[in-house]
Amino acid sequence: MSVIQLTNASKRYGRIQALDSVTLSVKAGEIFGLLGANGAGKSTLIRLLTGSTRPTSGSITVLGRSPVRDSQAVRREIGYMPQAPALYEDLSPRDNLRFFGHAHQTEGLEERISELLDFSNLRHRERDAVHEFSGGMKQRVSLACALLHRPPVLLLDEPTAGVDPRLRAEFWKHFRELAAAGVTLLISTHQMDEALYCDRLAVLSDGRVIACDTPRNILHQGRAKVRVWRNGNLTEEILEDYPERLPTLLGLDPSVTRIELQEDTLDNVLLGLIQERGGAPRE
Amino acid sequence: MSKVLAVAQRVLRQLAADRRFLFLSLVLPMLILAIAKAAIETLNNPFIDISQLVVPIGAFVVHFVTYVLCAIVLVRERTMHTLARMFVSGYRQVHIIGGYVLAYTALGTLQSLAIMLELRQLFNLSYRVPTLVSLYLVIWLLAIISISLGILVSNFARTEGQIFPFIPMVTIPGIFLSDVIISLDRMPLWAQWLGRATPLYHANRLIQRLIRPDATLAANWLHIGTLVLYIVVVMTLATRTLRESD
Repeated sequence: MSVIQLTNASKRYGRIQALDSVTLSVKAGEIFGLLGANGAGKSTLIRLLTGSTRPTSGSITVLGRSPVRDSQAVRREIGYMPQAPALYEDLSPRDNLRFFGHAHQTEGLEERISELLDFSNLRHRERDAVHEFSGGMKQRVSLACALLHRPPVLLLDEPTAGVDPRLRAEFWKHFRELAAAGVTLLISTHQMDEALYCDRLAVLSDGRVIACDTPRNILHQGRAKVRVWRNGNLTEEILEDYPERLPTLLGLDPSVTRIELQEDTLDNVLLGLIQERGGAPRE
Repeated sequence: MSKVLAVAQRVLRQLAADRRFLFLSLVLPMLILAIAKAAIETLNNPFIDISQLVVPIGAFVVHFVTYVLCAIVLVRERTMHTLARMFVSGYRQVHIIGGYVLAYTALGTLQSLAIMLELRQLFNLSYRVPTLVSLYLVIWLLAIISISLGILVSNFARTEGQIFPFIPMVTIPGIFLSDVIISLDRMPLWAQWLGRATPLYHANRLIQRLIRPDATLAANWLHIGTLVLYIVVVMTLATRTLRESD
């Protein structure tokens, strides 16, 4: 059974079509990435899953329940990290965690807070006001708030925005551990390198899903630039199906003395997909 | 109830952390009252009964300050995205409104007490202790109404800038329609109805009754009930109109 299921889900804000007939499903224990530029519809999709906003049409379920009709039950099962830190900056991380923990009526709250402060590496700053923190530290507190009640589903809206590379790696290590423990993670990002860490990806452009597959399969939709030296002469070829054609090229042409292969990066593949399937922004 | 207390506790922690805000919210009303005293003394008009003006002015100062302070609170939650996070975490409208009213009532209690003590000192009020306690109760109830009203209007603003038009909209009509300066009976019928909708009118009516010799709170339970009903209605409206998002 899918933990998250969207079927032809659309969302319109006045004249703006934020999401257009999105269909996708996320399985238990999966890290599912939402990739797209700013304004592509990633945050809207996450807000639909939290029940913060209603779809204009289509259906959405989280753990088999509708976030609109059964919002309280769904919200007990999800951990949500918004794009902005969404913290009380005049309070300490402990006070913030305590406040959101009360909402979930988390058992052993103070111990759980201490555990998360250790995980966030903020134990030594637990009594300082959040407004004194750097962007990365605020993101850590915000993530800790989402993890407080050990939810089986995590909806993380650009969790690593403004986070330094070392901490980003730590975040992803922890996401992997959570997924291994059976937690389902839906993570939005616009950073291509992060997308490669996901089990599957949906690429959003102007509110539409233009690709949904594993990062590897999406990469294979790209092209490769092949530089071939034949008897000392250089030629360049662009191959769309290079995994199939390359062995032939190597084996059958004895004049080939050297080959250099430059694969498309995920950025290039996605930009190509957006140009090919996306189209101009619509109202 | 525990979630209402959690919101109230969090708001109180925020208030306690902002010492400057706390200081100004207690000192400013007292300063305004001192200015009002200077203005009243210069009137020196034999046709104006100062004793009937003094306590309503104190009530108005509390009404104005508590209303203005609360009008911004939920807008701030909205712009900081903490309102959305509260909802997704499981807090509901009733917890948020209830918690805010409870926390700001603590501040309103101190403001009302400070104003009442200042009134007594500045204007040499010679009322009996039961009368002073009754007057304090009226000002305190008016403070809770003003807190609820502030929170109610803050539901209708999306940005902090949008709050400003709401501030005179509630406070200015109260000055003219509360029967303190101008007799409401001499006004057009529509203005009379509008006046009866203002909390200051009901508070003033009760104050005027309570400052009469031999007046008791028990004899005015119906008017106290009106103020309590006003709180319930405004809080219910605030709860119903607090929208999570679009």
